[in-house]
Amino acid sequence: MTETLADPAKVAVVSPRKRRRARRLPLWVPAGVVVAMVTAAYTAPLPHDPRVPGAAPLAPPDGEHWMGTDKFGLDVFSRLVASAGVDIPLALSGMLISLVIGVLLGLVALHRGPWGERVVRALDVFQAFPLLILAIALVALMGNNIENVVAAIAIINIPRFVRLVRSEGLTIRESRYIEAAHAIGASGPRVMFRHVLPNMTGIILAQASLAVAHSIVVIASLSFLGIGINAADASWGAMIQTGAQNMTTGQWWVSVFPGLAIFLTVLCFNAISDALQDSFGRARQR
Amino acid sequence: MRVFGYARRRMFFLPLGLLSVIVLAFLLVNALPGNPAGVIAGPAASPAELAGIERRLGLDKPLWERFTDYVGALVRGDFGSSYYTDRPILSEILRFAPATLELVVLSLTIAAVLGVGLGVLGAYYKGRSADRTSRLVVTTFQSIPDFFLALLLIYLCFYLAGWAPAPVGRLGLMDEPPPTVTGALLIDALISGDMRTFRSAVAHSLLPVLTLGIYYSAYFARSTYASLVPALESKQVEFARACGLSERTVLAYAFRQARTPILTYGGILLAALLGGAAIIETIFSWGGFGEWAIDSILQLDIPAVQGFILAAGVGTLLVFTALDILVAVLDPRVRYD
Repeated sequence: MTETLADPAKVAVVSPRKRRRARRLPLWVPAGVVVAMVTAAYTAPLPHDPRVPGAAPLAPPDGEHWMGTDKFGLDVFSRLVASAGVDIPLALSGMLISLVIGVLLGLVALHRGPWGERVVRALDVFQAFPLLILAIALVALMGNNIENVVAAIAIINIPRFVRLVRSEGLTIRESRYIEAAHAIGASGPRVMFRHVLPNMTGIILAQASLAVAHSIVVIASLSFLGIGINAADASWGAMIQTGAQNMTTGQWWVSVFPGLAIFLTVLCFNAISDALQDSFGRARQR
Repeated sequence: MRVFGYARRRMFFLPLGLLSVIVLAFLLVNALPGNPAGVIAGPAASPAELAGIERRLGLDKPLWERFTDYVGALVRGDFGSSYYTDRPILSEILRFAPATLELVVLSLTIAAVLGVGLGVLGAYYKGRSADRTSRLVVTTFQSIPDFFLALLLIYLCFYLAGWAPAPVGRLGLMDEPPPTVTGALLIDALISGDMRTFRSAVAHSLLPVLTLGIYYSAYFARSTYASLVPALESKQVEFARACGLSERTVLAYAFRQARTPILTYGGILLAALLGGAAIIETIFSWGGFGEWAIDSILQLDIPAVQGFILAAGVGTLLVFTALDILVAVLDPRVRYD
């Protein structure tokens, strides 16, 4: 490669945004997939009872068992569908709690004076730990149940919202309309909630979607290790664990299908985040 | 020489960070809702048994006294001993750490090479099909849970293709481990000149290293892409091209601007992986630090959990400090205040 002068069209400085935007999925596609999965988990008639073993163990996928059966003779497809109703709501509720706490803490951290800096320093220490291990330790020490899984998910996700709100807020705070709001005598909290916060809704929602994607993986990891969710209740991580040994002996279907379900869900939430960021980014530019 | 001043000031904060880590390790075990003694004893325990366990863990004393006892013991180099095996925690940590370090360093090397490659490819051919392919690959790597990827690789490379050995640990069941010098098997095998063991160790590390390498390459790829794209569009790159420099040289110039964020990511991942490789270690029976931590946590071995949190925290602290100093050395634009 010894081009002496670069072709300007090739360097593509002009409108990379436009190109990228055109390639992205519209919001409703991944959102629709997620909604469909959760709805199916609660309403769809399942071909087999996800909790009652009724078939030959480790049967490969066929017309009767679409995704085969696991070593207990449970139908993989039915469990997979039912798991969506456990894993996704858990991740969503954990995220919601961390969103509320994290945004409030982030606004505190925006405050001029020593407290803002202190909140950020405290988070630095907190983030120095491997988050997954922290989640495992929290659930194990607080007691092994679903409420504590949600609590752990909430706790490990708080820092990302605090950081985001603080860093975005520091920029927004310098803008003219904030100055104007202060000038007409708006109170501190009013400026925060009416002017600063609404201007970062998009980026917070995008981050929230990423947090859900991350939480899905953490929940799956926890239940893969047998922590948090009762093994009888279907969950994707536990299903993968059930089939983990079978992967060395060739019965791939027990683990692969729930693994793909996690993969698809994470992809969807990542895509939702991208789409949100794009649409809000566009709105802001206009 | 401003860098030295910065490094000194940065080191000055180490004791402060250390104290916070100690406090966190202490609080996580002592101030969480729920009584660990109750969880250890189980629901059927009598009050006397419960009191016995509490006394053994020192939970019967007031919080403040427990904390001073804990810090006092730490100062004497006493990390406590395991609730179940009675082995001193410090020697357990030192016994398990080399295996994890070996795994993490190898994986991060793979991840960095693969990720930077993908990122450079995407950034250089931005908007073209190579960029789209690279983006697709990165998105895929990023969305597969690492433990699922590990199982997939086991199925493909061990069961179907037979390229890799069974996931039974760092060596085969029949292999003789080399005499322990560093604790890292690959290095020990080389030192003892035992090539058969060395080959076996390489073969056994193949899948876990590949799993973590693939999974974490996504992070490197994203940060490389994000910093290289503006670098390639910058004035100095335009000027370098105008001077007629070869594209390789131009790319090398642009990459200089991108190396700090990549290095930062490497440091963050190194710290995260000290414990974050735990599930992969468990799947491959790696016998490392993370696996030990998960076992301890599941058994509610409180002193071991505390020791793990402390060790992981200190490790992270050291990595981050070294990282900050290294970045300051490499990047003259960093402000030193």
